[in-house]
Amino acid sequence: MTNTTEENQSVSRVDWNSEKQTARLKSRYRKEKMFKGIAIMSLGTAIAALLVVLVSIFSTGISGFTETRITMDINIDPAVVGEINDMSEEELTIHVASLNINRMLVSSLQAKFPDVTRRADVFALLRLFSVGAQTDIREAILEDTSIVGQTVPISLKAGSDVDMLIKGYISREVEESDRKISDQQIVWVDQFIAEERVTQGFNWAFFTSGDSREPELAGIWSATVGSFLTLLVTFLISFPIGVGSAIYLEEFAPKNRLTDLIEININNLAAVPSIIFGLLGLAIFINFMSLPRSAPLVGGLTLALMTLPTIIITSRAAIKAVPPSIKEAAIGLGASHMQTVFHHVLPLSMPGILTGSIIGMAQALGETAPLLMIGMVAFIVDTPTGITEAATALPVQVYLWADSPERGFLEKTSAAIMVLLAFLIIMNGLAIWLRQKFEKKW
Amino acid sequence: MVNEVNILNVNEGSATDVDVREPKMKAKKVNVYYGDNHALRDIDLDINPNEVTALIGPSGCGKSTFLRCLNRMNDTIDICRVEGNILLDNQNINDKKIDVVQLRARVGMVFQKPNPFPKSIYDNIAYGPRIHGIANSKEELDEIVHSSLKKAGLWNEVHDRLDASGTSLSGGQQQRLCIARTIAIEPEVILMDEPCSALDPIATAIIEELIEDLKNRYAIVIVTHSMQQAARISQKTAFFHLGKLMEVGDTTTIFTNPTHEKTKDYITGRYG
Repeated sequence: MTNTTEENQSVSRVDWNSEKQTARLKSRYRKEKMFKGIAIMSLGTAIAALLVVLVSIFSTGISGFTETRITMDINIDPAVVGEINDMSEEELTIHVASLNINRMLVSSLQAKFPDVTRRADVFALLRLFSVGAQTDIREAILEDTSIVGQTVPISLKAGSDVDMLIKGYISREVEESDRKISDQQIVWVDQFIAEERVTQGFNWAFFTSGDSREPELAGIWSATVGSFLTLLVTFLISFPIGVGSAIYLEEFAPKNRLTDLIEININNLAAVPSIIFGLLGLAIFINFMSLPRSAPLVGGLTLALMTLPTIIITSRAAIKAVPPSIKEAAIGLGASHMQTVFHHVLPLSMPGILTGSIIGMAQALGETAPLLMIGMVAFIVDTPTGITEAATALPVQVYLWADSPERGFLEKTSAAIMVLLAFLIIMNGLAIWLRQKFEKKW
Repeated sequence: MVNEVNILNVNEGSATDVDVREPKMKAKKVNVYYGDNHALRDIDLDINPNEVTALIGPSGCGKSTFLRCLNRMNDTIDICRVEGNILLDNQNINDKKIDVVQLRARVGMVFQKPNPFPKSIYDNIAYGPRIHGIANSKEELDEIVHSSLKKAGLWNEVHDRLDASGTSLSGGQQQRLCIARTIAIEPEVILMDEPCSALDPIATAIIEELIEDLKNRYAIVIVTHSMQQAARISQKTAFFHLGKLMEVGDTTTIFTNPTHEKTKDYITGRYG
């Protein structure tokens, strides 16, 4: 009773209409407005920064997905091709690969530009085309052997310099000595343009070929396969070990100083710079265990070490989030501890565990530094077919191209980043989808 | 009329003396510690078969702790230590030789908040029989699920949607599902920890009716904060206060003629 009277008095003691109260109220609203303003500003800054990054990558990278081709009339010289009528398909492939296609290209060019006779000029003319132009001619022969002896128009891959000129990255205005393409070459290119022989199209080779010293031929396929194999190893190692550790630590381990220490160390490991894991991988897997260097196996193991803390921490959080009432229900029915965990806790925490693991995998996919330490930074043209073969990974490919002096690699770098971002977005999207699909209400 | 019964009981001493049946469970000098906190002190209590025993008392008095001792649910709490003997059919359940999994199959539990598994209604009930290997065939399991639902009075409401999630039911239905789940493994004792505290009066009435019916087959121990509920459904009432069992006896006696001053204060609503 005494309490209520006191409260009544205290309520009446405040005059809500007084100036002081109005000012108080105003200041409260002002503070709220200020906080909101600051929050919106910081959010805006973050979004603007993200947009700047994305726009700069996209504007540079989008042209990396296109290629320039020049259609040339090529005289498929029977003298160069030789007798191929009796050959089987396999023999033909080997034979065509050994042909001196360069000779055909040179003679065809000379036929088109009869006044070009100087050796240096012929080479300058030849440099308008990519080394890959020879592949285009070989493929044309293999596709239809009846063209041998005829002069046929074939769409040839242009060299990187021509590609850059067409895409506008090399300015015609600058001094001849300051650009990679000479005035004479520009004249030839302009002639091709006037004859409508220059076309631009989607660069499929970017997705299907491996690395190359020539920007116009370089692709991300081998790096993508390398990344995939590496992530496969990472997942196979870190997921079972990580989830197992999380289950044990959260559900079975006694709570004592040792487990506290382990917990602190796991949390600290998550913050260790990734290059340290690279050094660790180098010391343990390559130097001590003598596993092959540059291989997805070692890369995967190293990244698994790096991903483990993330998986353990997120899995523990997911396991902890399972309501105790569900555990009690199972235990109350006479389920053993193990049954409770595997029948109820684990299925309920799976969405969270998977989300955490996929986020960890996405992190591993974008990781470069540890891979540098274990030698996955090598120039690899061939696509790896196993986890013990030398390979590179997407982010390392980006790093390698970013380091290349050729102008053509600039757009390739950005294009590769776009592909990497696409993979990351897909993985994160998958994580969100899994979480929403399997999340259960209780 | 009521008074007459009371006088009779008081004259003959406590209810347990009159009872000729052997108690299903006996707690003897049970002490429980949570770390340094002495939560229960020297509890002696008999649980009779085919009877509802109500545990009442103010919050924090240890009645839930005692209930959880009866199927060793306190084992799951690291800092909790239980001393003393609790006999189930004259066998000490705190004995190292006793398998706690089997014990919990014999002493089932229904919790305060309905906690069905986020699985289908069928799987909720079939889970217990499955892990204990009670059913030998699919038909037998179906039979157990159906009869458990019928016994819990839920059959008419859910028989056409056994595949629906247990969590899609209303609160009262969920609690009856939990009861059905408990009786599916045919326990001997059912412990109920405030089973109606999260339910509306109508759902509560249904559950109380169900308890009334279940006591014909099982010994039931129920913790409740509702004096009316204890008076309505229980035959025996135990009043806990500050970790001590203050008074135990026939429900009618406790409610009409409590011997202890504290009991009187509590049941008349003076505190608690």
